[in-house]
Amino acid sequence: MSVQAEAMGQKPTWRKYLSWNTDHKVIGVQYIVTTFLFFVIGGALAMVIRAELAQPGSDIVNGVEYNRLLTNHGSVMIFLWIIPIMAGFANYVLPLMIGAQDMAFPNLNALSFWLIPPAGIIMMTSFFVGAAESGWTTYVPLSLTAPFGQTLWAVSVLLLGMSSIIGAVNFVTTTLTMRTKGMGFWDMPLFVWSMLATSLMILIATPMLTAGLVLIAMDRVVGTLFFVVQAGGDPIFWQNIFWFYSHPAVYIMILPAMGIISEVIPVFSRKPIFGYKAIAISSMAISILGLLVWAHHMFTSGMNPALRVPYMITSMIIAVPTGIKIFSWLATMWDGKLELKTPMLFAIGFLAMFLIGGLTGIFLAAIPIDLHVHDTYFVVAHLHYVLFGGSVSAVYAGLYYWFPKITGRKYNEPLGKAHFWMNFIGANLTYLPLFLAGLLGMPRRVADYSPEFATANMLATIGAIILGASTLPFLYNAIVSWARGPKAGDNPWRALTLEWTTTSPPPENNFDSPPVLTHGPYDYGDPIVQLENQTS
Amino acid sequence: MKERSIFIIIVLSIILIGIGLFVATQADLSFLLPEEASAESVLIDGLFRMLMGIATVVFLLVEGVLLYTVIRFRRKPGEEGDGKPVHGNNTLEIVWTIIPAIIVAVIGVYSYQVLTIIEQPREDPLVVQIIGRQFSWEYIYPESRISSGVMHLPVDRPVQFQIESKDVIHSFWVPAFRLKQDATPGQIDEFFITPTKIGRYPIRCAELCGAAHAAMVSEVVVQSKEDFEAWLEAGGTALSPPSMEETSSQPSPGESGTAPDTSSEEVQAQGRALFIELGCGACHMLADAGGAGAVGPPLDGIASIADTRVDGMDAHSYILKSIINPDDHVVEGFPPGLMPKDYGDRISEEKNELLVKYLLSQ
Amino acid sequence: MGTHATGYKDPFNSGKALGLNHTKLGMWLFLASEVMFFGGLLSAFLHYRVSAPAPVEDALLDITLVGINTFILLTSSFTVVLGFGSIQAGNVKRLGFFLGATIVLGVLFLSGQVYEFYSLTQEGLTLTSSVFGSSFYTLTGFHGLHVFVGILWASYVLLGALRGKYSSESTIGVEVFGLYWHFVDIVWIVLFTLIYLI
Repeated sequence: MSVQAEAMGQKPTWRKYLSWNTDHKVIGVQYIVTTFLFFVIGGALAMVIRAELAQPGSDIVNGVEYNRLLTNHGSVMIFLWIIPIMAGFANYVLPLMIGAQDMAFPNLNALSFWLIPPAGIIMMTSFFVGAAESGWTTYVPLSLTAPFGQTLWAVSVLLLGMSSIIGAVNFVTTTLTMRTKGMGFWDMPLFVWSMLATSLMILIATPMLTAGLVLIAMDRVVGTLFFVVQAGGDPIFWQNIFWFYSHPAVYIMILPAMGIISEVIPVFSRKPIFGYKAIAISSMAISILGLLVWAHHMFTSGMNPALRVPYMITSMIIAVPTGIKIFSWLATMWDGKLELKTPMLFAIGFLAMFLIGGLTGIFLAAIPIDLHVHDTYFVVAHLHYVLFGGSVSAVYAGLYYWFPKITGRKYNEPLGKAHFWMNFIGANLTYLPLFLAGLLGMPRRVADYSPEFATANMLATIGAIILGASTLPFLYNAIVSWARGPKAGDNPWRALTLEWTTTSPPPENNFDSPPVLTHGPYDYGDPIVQLENQTS
Repeated sequence: MKERSIFIIIVLSIILIGIGLFVATQADLSFLLPEEASAESVLIDGLFRMLMGIATVVFLLVEGVLLYTVIRFRRKPGEEGDGKPVHGNNTLEIVWTIIPAIIVAVIGVYSYQVLTIIEQPREDPLVVQIIGRQFSWEYIYPESRISSGVMHLPVDRPVQFQIESKDVIHSFWVPAFRLKQDATPGQIDEFFITPTKIGRYPIRCAELCGAAHAAMVSEVVVQSKEDFEAWLEAGGTALSPPSMEETSSQPSPGESGTAPDTSSEEVQAQGRALFIELGCGACHMLADAGGAGAVGPPLDGIASIADTRVDGMDAHSYILKSIINPDDHVVEGFPPGLMPKDYGDRISEEKNELLVKYLLSQ
Repeated sequence: MGTHATGYKDPFNSGKALGLNHTKLGMWLFLASEVMFFGGLLSAFLHYRVSAPAPVEDALLDITLVGINTFILLTSSFTVVLGFGSIQAGNVKRLGFFLGATIVLGVLFLSGQVYEFYSLTQEGLTLTSSVFGSSFYTLTGFHGLHVFVGILWASYVLLGALRGKYSSESTIGVEVFGLYWHFVDIVWIVLFTLIYLI
């Protein structure tokens, strides 16, 4: 139970996590635990996929079952894991970071969480009534004739989109109206900046997906003709409306991750973040540019060929603000005093792996190369490097970093390090060979393949087994440490953002009185700050 | 900055740039890609090499700095205090904004140039129409009025492809040619290729199209001009269904190609070839023809049970019906509506007859 | 563990420095997302009008009828403005009157739409008769749904007004409702122009 509750001799308070609770800290934990459950489910689907692909030939599942596995693996990971867990982190941490007592709209906040369990149940149920089986990209006309589960899938994603939009309204309003006195925009922690940029994209892009899903659902259920080719329906229109959301979606998944990295690296380098303003502005630039690149998913679709070039240009330009961030993080670490605790290990893993994902993105942006590698395992490898090597590493970094603040206890450091190494080795072993498979000719979304790709696939399956196993030390660590780990104290990492000035976990109203800012969020090494920290 | 640091930076830069140039121009990257069998593949691989050169440099630089930092600046046991309060460096930040911007611009320009060459229309191309269906490809040569399940092309002559789908979106990909184009229902898209190397190359479907997407494979045979012309004349599967422009209700104007021989060995050989070409094995198991699909009922032993399936229907009629009207008597446990319904229209009566005879021997 | 206090006893409101009220800001952000939603449906309509034109069905649309309906909806926005002005001046009774007028006009608008849909279906233009039909009814139908939600909201605000919830000091509830209603009206102006006039 929580440290304070224990001290006051109260009964266990875990019940509050199962109820409608408007405390952003409770909601944050609800988000994190629920989404992690879906991470495990999505991971289990991946394990079956990799078991099937370990060797050529149809071994475990047939073509239809395989398509259902891959569709739901992607959908669960995107809509029920990464996007909402970022909202979960923001929920817990953002009000604390700006010195507020809660979010601007606490009841809406609870609603945005409580949309998730029913949506998740609906998506899981869809498996049993003929699941969605057209890829998470749901291209028409294939998805129009998929069985009933496809409609349930659409309903589930609609609910999750609403949750996301409501969350974004909350994050922006909170950030703009509830910062503590003296915290101007250039004094906010970078995680807050990243959530601002993310929320902008959520508000603009998600409703497009809503509209698109409505059109597909109506075609399937009511008999409208939006995507019925014989009546003049246009499959490429679906691709446009889908990718208008789904490309920003990937930035929605990476910007908060980058925000977390911007928090972790200064603390464990004991140095200010290098290039604060450049990172903040880059986040906003990525957000805006991210809304303008979507057709790079459609280079081979038969879209107007001349229109492809502007999208190549915008997709390449986005490499520049991304590079600025990577270099800034490196410069932060340079000449610091690095403490290689688990959060920092995952941040370093993020840098190492996100770089590979980002570089291969430039290959994909170059249209002539994309004509060869589009819809192949090259893309699968790229996306897993940015989403797993990138976003998931950052999620783990955040989980370990804020674990003491949320639970009031310390996690076990050796177990954390073991988790990191299994994760790092497993991820690279799984995804690196897949680049080669794609370049040499293996398409995506195939239940079977030509024997020349067997080695790459076997290596990937072995890596996946290591990855799957790596969640075990994490789960054990999280559960046992939360139950009876050693007490953490207010600020075990000697960090400078506001959440560390209150108790672990924070009291119900976060701060006894509005926090007074005496230094910036990253003023490590500043003599006055060092003096303050020694006496606190 | 210290002189020593500047010296090290210069030396490292030279080494890195040297490595990059080596990768981009000299190194043998052929293990990363299929063989180059088209004129376009050479251009695309050139662009790929340049990107590999740049990516190698950036990779070594960033990962190198990362590794160095983690080792060199780790807090030593007993070491107290924090790092230096350095918040930024304008020069450095400008440099690492401008240099990547320039690199990206160069890549963009080079990519655009390659794209322009690939897209330009060719003189006197051979026109080939590609039709995608669940789960096989059909290739139509409108000038010669033939259709085939295997693509043949003459070496060194530009080809103009016109691609379409009859059901869901498929994607036509020849890794050895390096080009890919989606087959979308309701529209016809064009693209060009010039094959430059004689040989046989796999064709794979690269857009999820249903249960047998992975089995939707085909082959392109690049031949000398003479061999290609011979194939057009009489070889393989010369037949004349209506091409894309004609309606399918008209009878085929005239048959080209050999009529099926009555000798059972010929029937076996030709029937097997037809079965393979039309991609039947993507959905039906048939050991004799290497069919491994499980979307539809297995066909091994079909000859002995075909006359028991429908009352009053003999084996020959049943098999023929199952090909041209597949939804009439769907085998229990298999979904209706998956098998293409137009084999009666797009394949001549003689060819369908050949298939039936072949299956009657299985 | 239902309610949870927000705001300190003496909180610093950084929104004030920016001139923002958090409830209004929230509504503006939500409306931004709604603009994008209608943008999606509208882009479907416009795309198909170009790629799959249906001149016969297009000619069935009755500009006069819908023009009158548009005028009704515009008037309802005017009554909302008058209602908000009333409560700003502290006049609860007049607020109630204008809210009532808004509701009546909204119901009239919806009735007009229902009548329009009915006559069009009688002439063969349905949701499933063509892509034009699909996109026309979906777009205008979702707008009508938003009007319906607006009417329910207006009733809720009216009830609050009758119970003395609003005064010249406490107008935010009326104001955010007004923002929503004006948004629905502006969307209709765009729809009317692009569907009927062009």
